[in-house]
Amino acid sequence: MKRKKIFKTQLGIAATFCLAAILMIYVSYALPRFLPGDFVTAMYAGSEVTLSPEQEADLRNYFNENQGFGEYLFKLLRLDWGYSYAFFTPVSVLFFEALPWTLLLLGSAYLLSFGIGFILGVETAWRRKGPWEKGLVGGMMVLEGIPEMITGVVLLLVFAFHLGWFPAAGADTAYAEIYFWEWILDVGHHLTLPLVTLLIAYIPGNFLLARNSMSMVIKAPFIITARAKGLPPRRIRYAHAARNVLLPLMTRFGLRFAFMVTGALIVERIYAYPGVGTLLFNAIQVRDLPVIQWVVLVSSLMVLLIILSLEWVYRFIDPRIGQAG
Amino acid sequence: MNHMRKEYIFRSKWLWILIALGNFLLIIPWSSHAQEKRVHEIIIADSKGDWGYPNPFRHYPRGPGYVRMSWVFDTLVWKDQDGFIPALARKWAYDSQNQAFVFDLQEGVTWHDGTPFTAEDVAFTIQYYMKHPYQWVPMDAIADVNVIGSYRVKITLARPFAAFLTYVGGTMPIIPKHIWENVEDPKKYDDPKVYIGTGPYRFMDFDKAKGNYLYEAFDQYYQGVPKVERLIYVKTGNPMISLNTGKADLVNIEPEMAEGLERKGMKVIKDARGWNKKLMINHRIEPFCHKEFRQALAYAIDQQELIDKAHLGFGSPASHGLVSPDHEYYNPNTPTYPHDPEKVREILQSMGYVSGPSGYFEKNGKPLQVELLASNITAAGSSVPDRDGEIMKKQLQAVGIQVDLINMEQATTDGRVKKWEFQMAISGHGGLLGDAMVLGSLIDPDASAGSVNSARYGANQRLLDLVRAQVREMDEEKRKAMVYECQEIYADEIPAIPLYYPDSMSAYNPQKGVNWFYTKGGLAIGVPIAQNKMALID
Repeated sequence: MKRKKIFKTQLGIAATFCLAAILMIYVSYALPRFLPGDFVTAMYAGSEVTLSPEQEADLRNYFNENQGFGEYLFKLLRLDWGYSYAFFTPVSVLFFEALPWTLLLLGSAYLLSFGIGFILGVETAWRRKGPWEKGLVGGMMVLEGIPEMITGVVLLLVFAFHLGWFPAAGADTAYAEIYFWEWILDVGHHLTLPLVTLLIAYIPGNFLLARNSMSMVIKAPFIITARAKGLPPRRIRYAHAARNVLLPLMTRFGLRFAFMVTGALIVERIYAYPGVGTLLFNAIQVRDLPVIQWVVLVSSLMVLLIILSLEWVYRFIDPRIGQAG
Repeated sequence: MNHMRKEYIFRSKWLWILIALGNFLLIIPWSSHAQEKRVHEIIIADSKGDWGYPNPFRHYPRGPGYVRMSWVFDTLVWKDQDGFIPALARKWAYDSQNQAFVFDLQEGVTWHDGTPFTAEDVAFTIQYYMKHPYQWVPMDAIADVNVIGSYRVKITLARPFAAFLTYVGGTMPIIPKHIWENVEDPKKYDDPKVYIGTGPYRFMDFDKAKGNYLYEAFDQYYQGVPKVERLIYVKTGNPMISLNTGKADLVNIEPEMAEGLERKGMKVIKDARGWNKKLMINHRIEPFCHKEFRQALAYAIDQQELIDKAHLGFGSPASHGLVSPDHEYYNPNTPTYPHDPEKVREILQSMGYVSGPSGYFEKNGKPLQVELLASNITAAGSSVPDRDGEIMKKQLQAVGIQVDLINMEQATTDGRVKKWEFQMAISGHGGLLGDAMVLGSLIDPDASAGSVNSARYGANQRLLDLVRAQVREMDEEKRKAMVYECQEIYADEIPAIPLYYPDSMSAYNPQKGVNWFYTKGGLAIGVPIAQNKMALID
């Protein structure tokens, strides 16, 4: 009986998500079309070339900007994602060329800020009212208020321009004639400043959330019991208390992850770092409709997918949710 | 004793050995220097990065896209800092009787794949572009093309066309017949072969995600071995930092950085005035349809204040006749509109406006209120935040015209201008140093229906006739007189108001041994970028 109920609930969730996905597909089709301007105008406006009315009509015809939703959906189902107007290259090729850099930069930023924020939060809450806590909380509050744009520019000026320790732009040295392992080091070298900028932006939020949650948890009776049992403090902190901190942190992580596609746009712009954010930004500038549609679609589906996965992760982290379901 | 010792040393065979060794040591650095003379790589950085694939059908239709293509594909003629120079054509002549240009081509030229280049390729290129338009070249100006010999080709014009050498000879990239003859959709055709040209550099890679390009020298180039082995374009968030930290050798810079860069040993070059910021006016609607009102606007705008306050003084006021003062056809007697608030009030009062209680002009109880769109376009395809909109608003309000300022993203502004859904918009464009044919695309409504930079102004028939006729006038002096008159009429009608020429500069590292320069009249039809391939050819 209970199994049947769970199955029904699951089916309900799946149906809701399917409906939402269809809605997202429509949004990805329609939303970019609301952008004022069009590709031919945007591309030729700053051009040295002036189009005659016939040339303009031919170009519009070629790019087939007036594709209907039915055609869009049909092509989507056939896995025909279309060609970028600007590059005449399949949209998927552009997307998957940019994605690894987004994954590298934002993936590392999310994971590291999650880990560092979590550990610092747990440890600080454990040592309440000490100088460490006061200093860290104050410092993190200040950092939380500084936008990425400011941190990015300051780091760029200090470490790239004045000290010259790190490169100012790009994801690697363009067309460097080096061995693979040297290239790995080179990528790491280029990653440092954008990554640190993002870490400075992300760690404070995670830290404050972890610390606040932990402060609530360590007052709970089961922690007192654990202490009374004489368990080692580290085990109490992480195996007993901190597990409860994971839940809000995971929610934050998941929601942030969902915005991964465009999350680093500012940092990508400051450091000329490649990524999906830049791809979308450039596509919007020239009204490259197929690229905008694809990135909007993938990012909105990603939000859905992450929310769906969070449902499962919650059950794993907190068995109470599963039982309640 | 001493004397004897000296003699001994002089006669000693050791001395001769030492001298020989010294000479040898002197020779070694010279010979290795000769080997090192060829630079391994040059890096050019810009803040946008991607400008499309470098072939005629896939590059972005803007200057930087054309330049990236120009390394790979040569044209019949080219330009350097002094004007036209031979390229694939070693000499050319205009046959006025037959209304045709005859080009004698270079012999012994090969495509990057080793196939010989002949007159057939030139004829094929023209026929191919007639079928698959390359918008940079007005193919309707050509009636026919005939191969006269393996290295001679005759291009017959459809009508007299004074801008032929600039717009066709110096802009049309010649493509190989043996590669393109079977290509039906050149935009989508994706094959390494479509980057085979006769230019000094072979295209090797374009990294779309990173915005980087790699070219390698084509050592069999008919004009000499390129000085630099690898040419690399990189994208950078800040060109000045890239140049300073040795990550780039040539960049466009903001003028205020010039002094600091020169102190650090960089060479800074400044372009002639070929790009202007312009106030577009919707002259189809009231009150902008009245010439007097547009003239009042011109008097209300203080060009120098715009330059001083929005651009730290780096720029110069634009000629109200459109043609740049650095152009050989510039008319020094073009009417101007010095900033004169009193004159503005006079004109507006003569048009029936009266000063209202709020200090702004009114007519029939309705305040004189205009909408001004502002965006951030600047030279060489870049975008910099400026305060032109705010300053212009202040200037117009000071003379009694109420302004509703709307800051917008460039493509949105362009879209509205194109559809005439605007009153006034601050925009900008280049091409002012190229052939005077550009006047057609900046004025003539028929030639530029879809342009957002064109005034599309047909109210003055004399102006239209002149703009069209000057392109057909093959006599240079007569043409110059027509262009002079165009400027006078344009400045009087003032359908769009030229504002100022922002200083356009590039900086490069002279230690690489390349002397970059700005091309006379701009590259091809007037691209104001200091990346002329001739800088890399001795």
